[in-house]
Formats: sequence, C-alpha cells, structure tokens
Amino acid sequence: MAQFSIAHLYPDLMNLYGDRGNLICLQKRLQWRGHQCSIENLGLSDDMELGRYDMVFMGGGSDREQGLVYEDLLRKGSRIMEQIEAGLPMLCICGAYQLLGQSYIAADGQVMDGLRFFNFRTVAGSPRLIGNILIEANIDGQKVSVVGFENHGGRTIFLDHKLQPLGHVIKGFGNNGKDGGEGLIYKNLIGTYLHGPFLPKNPAVADFILSAMAKRRGVELDTLLDDSIEKYAHDQVKDRLLGSSR
Amino acid sequence: MKRLKIILAIMLGKLLIRLSRLLGNQGSNFPGAWGLRIYPGLLREMASRIRREIVVVTGTNGKTTTSNMIAAVLREQGYSVIHNRAGANMLPGIATAFIEQNNVLGLKEFDYALLETDEATIPALLREVKPRMMLITNFFRDQLDRYGELDRIITVINESLKDQIIKLILNGDDPLSLCFTSSGAQSIAYFGFEPTRYDVLDNRESREGRFCVCCGSELDYSRYHYAQLGEYSCQNCGNRNPEIEFKGQDLELTDKIILRVKDLRLESPYQGFYNAYNILAAAAVAKSLGMSDEAIRNAIHDYRPRAGRMEEFSIDSKRVVLILVKNPIGLNQSLSAVKDDINPKSVFFALNDNAADGRDISWIWDADLENLALEEHNIRKVVCSGIRSGDIAVRFKYTGFDTSLIMIESDLEAGICDALNCPVSVIYVLSTYTALFDCRKILLKLQKRSGQHPLIQPVRGQVVD
Ligand SMILES: [Zn+2]
Repeated sequence: MAQFSIAHLYPDLMNLYGDRGNLICLQKRLQWRGHQCSIENLGLSDDMELGRYDMVFMGGGSDREQGLVYEDLLRKGSRIMEQIEAGLPMLCICGAYQLLGQSYIAADGQVMDGLRFFNFRTVAGSPRLIGNILIEANIDGQKVSVVGFENHGGRTIFLDHKLQPLGHVIKGFGNNGKDGGEGLIYKNLIGTYLHGPFLPKNPAVADFILSAMAKRRGVELDTLLDDSIEKYAHDQVKDRLLGSSR
Repeated sequence: MKRLKIILAIMLGKLLIRLSRLLGNQGSNFPGAWGLRIYPGLLREMASRIRREIVVVTGTNGKTTTSNMIAAVLREQGYSVIHNRAGANMLPGIATAFIEQNNVLGLKEFDYALLETDEATIPALLREVKPRMMLITNFFRDQLDRYGELDRIITVINESLKDQIIKLILNGDDPLSLCFTSSGAQSIAYFGFEPTRYDVLDNRESREGRFCVCCGSELDYSRYHYAQLGEYSCQNCGNRNPEIEFKGQDLELTDKIILRVKDLRLESPYQGFYNAYNILAAAAVAKSLGMSDEAIRNAIHDYRPRAGRMEEFSIDSKRVVLILVKNPIGLNQSLSAVKDDINPKSVFFALNDNAADGRDISWIWDADLENLALEEHNIRKVVCSGIRSGDIAVRFKYTGFDTSLIMIESDLEAGICDALNCPVSVIYVLSTYTALFDCRKILLKLQKRSGQHPLIQPVRGQVVD
C-alpha cells in the first residue's frame, strides 16, 4: 500500500462545474486498488513547492478570480515547468489550461500574461462554446474516445505546431472551434476545456494519470477495476452525440 | 348569545382542522366555512382584535412568496402575525387562519394580519375587514382570460376600494396598475425596477399586445423587464409609467438575487426576475409599514426557498416522496431529508439535461453526497434513470455505494417500479425539472392501481402559487 498526495491549487477561487469530481475520481480509484490518497488545498497564501506532490490539479474560475490566480502564480510559478519536464502529472481545466500559455487577450483587448510554459495564446471570443463534446484522444499511443462538457469563451490557438493536442474533435468545438484540436498533452500534463466532470466518465484518462503517479513512486498499479458503470455513462453521452440513443 | 356563538364557531372550526389533519388533508377551507356558517360575523369580530394593521396581498403572480416574505419581516421585527395558508385565499381559508391561530374564546390579540387574497375575493373581504394597506403584485393576463375576466375583476376591486381609507402598493412597471387612481381617501406608492442588464429591448418580440388603460391604443415599450412589466408609453394619450417611489436598483441575478431599494441592499437565496419583483414588493410594503432596514435585510436574507416540491404518495402501503432537484444546494437539502429518515429506503433519481434542466449536469458533483452510502442511512437500492442515467450512476458509485446496489434503468416507469420492488418502506423519487411531471403521473397511476385512496399532500411547505 502506498500513500499518495495531490495538490489542489486555488480550490476556493478556481472551482467551477464540478471540478472536485475529478479529484474524487482519482482518490477513489487509488483506494479501490488498496492505496491511500490525500488531497491538499493550496491557496494564495501558500508557497507552491509542487515537487512534494504526486499530482497537481487546477480547475476553472470566473474572470475576476482567474485574474487573482494569474498574478499569484506568475510570482510563484517559475519552478513548476521544471517539475512538468520531470514528469509531474498535472491536470489543468479551462482557465487553468489557458494560464499555461503565453497570454490571454480579453474581449476589451486587455492582455493578461500567462505562465508561458507553452507557446499558445487564448483570445476571448463570442459566442461562448457550450455543449457536450466527444473527442478522440491520443494517450500513451492509444486512441481513446473521451467525452465531457465544454463551456468557454476563450479560443486557444497553438503558435508552436509541435504542440500536441489532447485529441481531435469528433463532435463539439475544442480549442477554438476551427482547427479540430482539443486540449494539450505534454509528458504527464493534460490541459483541456472538458469538464463534466472529465475523469469519472473517462476512466482511461484517469488511469493514465494514476499510472504516471505510480510509476514515479515505483509502485505497480495492476489491479483492473470494473468500469461498467463508467463505460455506460461514457457511451450514453457518446451515442447521444453521434445520434443514436440508448 | 353572540359570544357563545363565536366560541361555538371557533371550537367547531378547531375541531374540524384537527379532524382533517388526521385524515391527511390540509384542512384549510371547510373549517372556516363552517365557522362562518355558525357565526357570519366571525371574521369581522376576530379582525377587530388586530392591534396594528391588516395588510392584504393580492395579484396574479407571486402572492404566496411575497406575503411569506412580508410575514418573515414582521416576525423578525418581533410582531405577532396572523397569516393564511398559501392557496387558502378566499374567505373560508382566511377564516380558518384566524380560527387556527386564535384561542377558543377568540380573544387573542395579534399585531398584524397578513391576508393573501384571491383577486376576485377582494370585494367580499373588504366588506368584513378594514385593511389599511393593500399590495397588488401584478395583473397578468393568461390564456384563461379570454372573456375579459381580468378587466371585470379590476373594475370590482376599484369599486370596492371607493370608500376605503387605504394605502395601495402597486407595481409601477405593470401598465394595468394605472387602472387604480388615488381618489379621496386612498394613497398610492409604486414599486418598480430601474433599467437592468437583464432587460429585453426588442419591441418586435412576439409578445401579446398591451393596451393603454386610458385610451385603448397599443402601448410602446422601450424595455421589458419581465413579461409585460417594463417601461412603456402611449403614443396616443401620453400615458406612461408612474413616478416610482420604491426603485429596485443594481439588480443582480446569479444563483441568488441582489438588489438595492432606497439605499437598502437586499440579498436573497431565491432566483429569477419574478422573484426579484416579489422581494421588491415585500420590501416596499415592509418599508411602508415602518419596519427597520435591518429587519427587512435579515428576513429577506434568511427566507429560504423550499428544497422543491415535496409530494407524498402511497403505493402498495409504501410511502413514496417525490422531490424536485435542480442544483447542488437543493440536492443537499433534499438528501438531508433522506438521511434523516431512519426507515429502510430506496432512492430513485431521474437526471435529465434538457434546456429547462440545464444542459450541463456537472452540478451533481458539487453536491455533497459523500457520506450518503454509510450503512446508518439505510439506503438499500439506488435506481438511476432519465436521459443521463449513466452520469448519476457514476456519481453514486463514487460516493461509495457498492455497485451491486446501483441499478441503471433509463425508462422512468420501469425505474420507479424497480425502486418500489425491493424490501423497503420508503421510496425517495428525486427528479430534475423535465422528468418531474412524468414521474408524478406515473406515481399517481401506480397509487390508483394499488387501490389506495389518493392521499397526496405536501410533506412540508406548500405548493407554490
Ligand atoms: Zn393612451
């Protein structure tokens, strides 16, 4: 039995659309395999020694709250990229994903600096891109279908064409509604617009994150879980998007 | 002799109230009707023992919510209040309220009487009691008003107000409010909203034409706040919104309502523009009665919407409770009722994601379901249904329920039957909005089939008006 710990960044400020579902999912799937997992909340007053954690999660927030977080992370965040390069599993949703890029350009033209970890930018747009979404993701060399719900005004545009999207859009909008890409995957980091929440309905992605966490600890995660309920929920959304109901 | 008749009327009324409760009815009308039969002056007699004011609340929409809020303010200020039950808003229902809350001699004194009154009952009520204030929330025409019923009601209310010394609190955004003009002893104060960012400016929207109460020409709207409430003017005779005394300002509608009226900032856990009107109307009445800002602020802040409709059914001698759920807060409230019930039970949950439910179902993860699976809560089976049966099933799985207790049945009727057919004595049927009416229909059918008397009654609270 191993004891894992996950850092939840700015849970008070960045917690929209059932984000905690993603954490519950990771925690439970470790427990069902006989391990323990604690979740630590890190806020504006805490330092960000992320190297101590097995995984980092950050969710979406409203514009005002996102502004506060931008400023705070810009001051503290310089070493986070080193951890990402070293393989720290990280999941960034909506606003947290946008923050990883060069900048966010608001509707009034105001430019907010991002962490500049990756060479993409996000431009506010209208209308908001809202709805159920189905993508085909490329995870660990495997093609997996992933479902969720997206709700974002920002259009994210990759400036570096070597960047890898998490997957390509089958139904829905994705990064910008145009180029067919959705999200970003780099080593063990995933950025995405999918909430819904994202992980409970996509156990393959949850297990990708969990095995990355385990591998860094030298722990084997070989227990297969019965995912029939998760698969049912997944397929229900998928079938609906593809036009066959169940 | 008169006193004896009063006592007799009250005693009989009280007895009938008890009896009807035992039979599972609300008993809100016929006890009062019998009381009035024994002593026709009963209402007049008991109303004369109101120390301060009698306030009448009428109008098409929002009577119940608004009068509940006013009652909450009065009580917050420390006054005793007689207040009739929602829906029991004709003379017998009002008499029942007086009988129920009074002592047997009918001598108990109250500070205020707050009488939610059906529009058509106003003339009859004004013959019995002498209110000093009357709130008219609004007058909406609905599809039932094909025969000019509303105009007739407005005329008779106007007629009955003629010789009264009364203050009218009217909705200044409602063109029909101009039907009431202050003549003689009456005075009028209007409430209404300043422009808000939720207004609709498009005049071409397919709305039923609204006509000037003075000359009958079609009105021009420069903005609509809600339904026919808004800024209007008549090109023909120059008629327009009256001067508003209680202005609703800085309105914010999110998961709660925030507004300002006369430098008093109000916050309410309610949602929707129509409830913003209810709050504004309640504040206008409370301020006109001289209640303190603090009492108004606290009462409005603490006045909670009910968890949802809670309706009870009896099927094969099992108790079935139907509850509407639509957001995490409401779901938490409903589930605490489920947890408080120690009986062995099953839970049925219909999750839909149609527009009226909200397309995004992620809110089910924001509700706190984490300890629902504990053995002490005695939940023997969870049936997951509706368009998003899979999502709610996953949610329940991650709260810790053993998967053998979780069942997915997207069909509502089959799912409800599954929840009924297990060894439990109570079934909680939770449903989002667009599945609620179907669930209700199914439950009524099953109840009828199981040969029981229809025994439908709200568990707590009342059905919204
Ligand atoms: Zn006119």
